[in-house]
Amino acid sequence: MSHPATRPRHPRRSRGPHGARRALGLLLPTLLLAACTGTPAAPRTDAAAAATAPQLTGPLCAALPTGTDPGNPSFLAGQPVDQALRWIPTLTTFEAALRTSGVLTDLPAGTGVTVLAPSDDAFAATFSEDNWDDLMTHHTDQLRTLLKAHLISGTHPIADLTTAGTATTLDGVTVTVTRTGPTARLGDRADTVCADYQATNARIHIINAVLGPLPVTADGTGHRAH
Amino acid sequence: MRRQRPTLIAVSTLIAITLTTAAPTPANAAPPEQVNALTAHQADGYTTLAWQPVDGATDYQIERTPVDADNTPTGAPTIVGIWRPNRQINQHAPTFADSGYNPGDTFQWRVRARTGTTEQPYSDPVTATTTAPWGNPTTPGEQLRTGWETTHAAQYTSDTDEYAYTAAIDALSDRVRVVELGRTVQNRPINMMVIGHPTPAATPEAVAATSPVAINCNVHGNEPGDREACLIMARQLAFSTDPRITDLLSHTTVLIVPTINGDGRANNTRGNSTGQDLNRDYSLIRQPETTAYITMVRDYRPVAGYDGHEFGNSRAGDLPMLPPRHQNVAQPIFDQSQDMIEGHMYAKGAEAGWWACPYGCEGGGNVGLSEETILRNTLGLKNVTNSLLELRSSGGQTRPDEGNTANNRRRKTYSALWTFHQFLDYHRADRADILKARSEAIETQAANTGRLVFRGSRPIPAHPAPHPGDSPPPLDAPPADLILDNAPCAYKLTDAQYNGARTDGPGGVGTTVAQRIAAHGWNVITIGDEHYVPLNQPERGLIPLLLDAKGVEKLTDGERVYPTLTGRRNGPLTVTGFTCADDATINGPVTVRAGAALVTTATTISGPLTATGAAGILLADSTVNGPVRIATTTDAISIIDATIAGPVDLSGNTTGTDAPVLAGTTIRGPLRCTGNNPAPHNLGIANTVHGPRTTQCAAL
Ligand SMILES: [Zn+2]
Repeated sequence: MSHPATRPRHPRRSRGPHGARRALGLLLPTLLLAACTGTPAAPRTDAAAAATAPQLTGPLCAALPTGTDPGNPSFLAGQPVDQALRWIPTLTTFEAALRTSGVLTDLPAGTGVTVLAPSDDAFAATFSEDNWDDLMTHHTDQLRTLLKAHLISGTHPIADLTTAGTATTLDGVTVTVTRTGPTARLGDRADTVCADYQATNARIHIINAVLGPLPVTADGTGHRAH
Repeated sequence: MRRQRPTLIAVSTLIAITLTTAAPTPANAAPPEQVNALTAHQADGYTTLAWQPVDGATDYQIERTPVDADNTPTGAPTIVGIWRPNRQINQHAPTFADSGYNPGDTFQWRVRARTGTTEQPYSDPVTATTTAPWGNPTTPGEQLRTGWETTHAAQYTSDTDEYAYTAAIDALSDRVRVVELGRTVQNRPINMMVIGHPTPAATPEAVAATSPVAINCNVHGNEPGDREACLIMARQLAFSTDPRITDLLSHTTVLIVPTINGDGRANNTRGNSTGQDLNRDYSLIRQPETTAYITMVRDYRPVAGYDGHEFGNSRAGDLPMLPPRHQNVAQPIFDQSQDMIEGHMYAKGAEAGWWACPYGCEGGGNVGLSEETILRNTLGLKNVTNSLLELRSSGGQTRPDEGNTANNRRRKTYSALWTFHQFLDYHRADRADILKARSEAIETQAANTGRLVFRGSRPIPAHPAPHPGDSPPPLDAPPADLILDNAPCAYKLTDAQYNGARTDGPGGVGTTVAQRIAAHGWNVITIGDEHYVPLNQPERGLIPLLLDAKGVEKLTDGERVYPTLTGRRNGPLTVTGFTCADDATINGPVTVRAGAALVTTATTISGPLTATGAAGILLADSTVNGPVRIATTTDAISIIDATIAGPVDLSGNTTGTDAPVLAGTTIRGPLRCTGNNPAPHNLGIANTVHGPRTTQCAAL
């Protein structure tokens, strides 16, 4: 599927709604500094958790539950994927859509799944609120197709996906997966911002743009009036 | 299956403020560009940093470092804020509310000035342990926590967690009663916590008599930050022994509706399960969620309100606020709401370090307009002093925008918690002014004078510099074709319009116009098969928006009915049918026949006014130089801002769901009310009665 010409190449820098702009000049360097330490600054990290912790990579990881926080990656590794998704704060849009549409529960039992999970910022940069509500409440088939563009059969660490170079999502589309420095780029559109969450029989890679065929409807001017 | 919070919590002290001061400045030390006298005050979920300003500083950077019990850093220092002059109104005493951390953790803060882009030396550090989530973990009731708190803001409190939490508060606190206002389209309960001290008043009418305040916490399902603040505040109100809290609750009733849009919250959508934006439905009330809220407003009559949202514009401040701007809102309500925002919130925000600002603030876009379908405007049209509240996590690019992470959620929720507490303080301190504004507004509305505007806002002038918003919201003046200079006396609806089936609700089934008018609480007079909605009522500004052909989002095209009686008229008058008198002087006795109706504004009747079996009697801004005797009326009685020689006798009137209104009226003789069902009430606006008041009107 080709991309609509209007799709922002770097949604996290766009002026999309709902606080999509994380790049805030002066504030950014320190945030990235904290994020790039590799051993996220986490009070109360205990050794046991660290020893078994999944090795997450990406600039967003440090802002997500770490160490022994509720919802930390080690805890999620023992959770069913639908529960694990509920614990990752920046996935509220995607998680609710998966839950509402029933796409996850339709997967054959026992098969692994890899979830390319767009962040809330990614959804806000892609869909206007009216468009998103319309999809959620009136267009379940379109919604399910959109969500399947973010699921891959089998549990694939991000390194395996970049090694393979391509991946076929459940909507039947093959996307390229290339390594770009410390992160991976999917479909020439989305970058991983925190990759390699584990859940029972699942991998979760958080990405910063929405995949799939639907056009961009966010107007980039900020936010619907209250 | 929530993990328990680590039990690091020191015993919490309620709203306690811990003050930590910097180490004393060495005698010969700091260069003038270095920030001095940095202090850190702890409050619920945030820390107010304050310091002495530095001459010539362009702005200041606030740095926070997590430390352990030995003050050893456990993470990287991070710039968590930038103080800019437009953040507050009194810039000689800069403050910054730092939030976005796990409450209870310990931090070190430093602040430095920048001159242009040149960074000056940091202040001496201040170290403090932040305030843990409110409530002693071993005290029953206080120990309750929301799902959001126990998950360290990784998850929002779920619907079922909310019901369990509010039920537990209800069970453990005499101050709280949870009532179900209605159900969502998908049958989720819409609950309201009714909170008073020592116990909340027993009935809606009794609560109304306490001049309650109402907080609508979550209308847009994807904006849940205010809801979490509401749930935390409910626990504080229910269990706190702080004299401030018990004093607040002894003087009013706090109405908290955590989740009007439970279906949208569950699906993280803005609208409800039909896709309807509920904040475009409060006047039309097509949906059960908005109907529940509007019916609550009718029954509990809050005098002040807040409506909670979140906002995405990165150039806005921390807490954009906006009053009811629709030009049909009575001036005193607009003024009082502006006083609450600019007089109180801006001033208190400058003390606490939160940046309250006008909606839009900077380059805010086309927001904050005059749709009467928005709760802010609907409440204003119902004479409720109120404001919109938006939560911004990255306030005007002066905080890091960390997306929808726990820390950003905390910034939003704890700034909302601050706002709602300030709202209660404002009501406590300014209650007399709020009630005066409400009385004046109701009397102004009922007088039915002045033009009607179908869309169009009052201007929000920029706050005088130093100001917290560089650009106020757009002017949004009414276009000429949406102004009606000559207001009618009433709207007449056919029976098909009034009782006909409608398709504008969920699943193509709507409630009738009659049901919606009843939910708004308007008086209706039926004569034959025609239904009249007079404008000399407290919600005069809202009625035409729903019933006039010019209405932008209307229910039906009612027929405008203009006064039939104006000027001087001598001799006895017998009223048949629907008679509307405006600016009239009637010299002689007036008799309203059975089944007829009399509606007056700016009218003087010299002689007795007698009505037996009338359909309706609505007098506003009028004088009766003689006795008034109204018996066995069938539809509606309303006497607002009238002067009557008396005696006044209301007896045997059976007006259905519309209780007779007697408000703001002076009666020079006795007032007798017997056998009326329902009993008359005064809308909270006292009457002056020189003679004795008996039976049903003893307390009016
Ligand atoms: Zn909103």
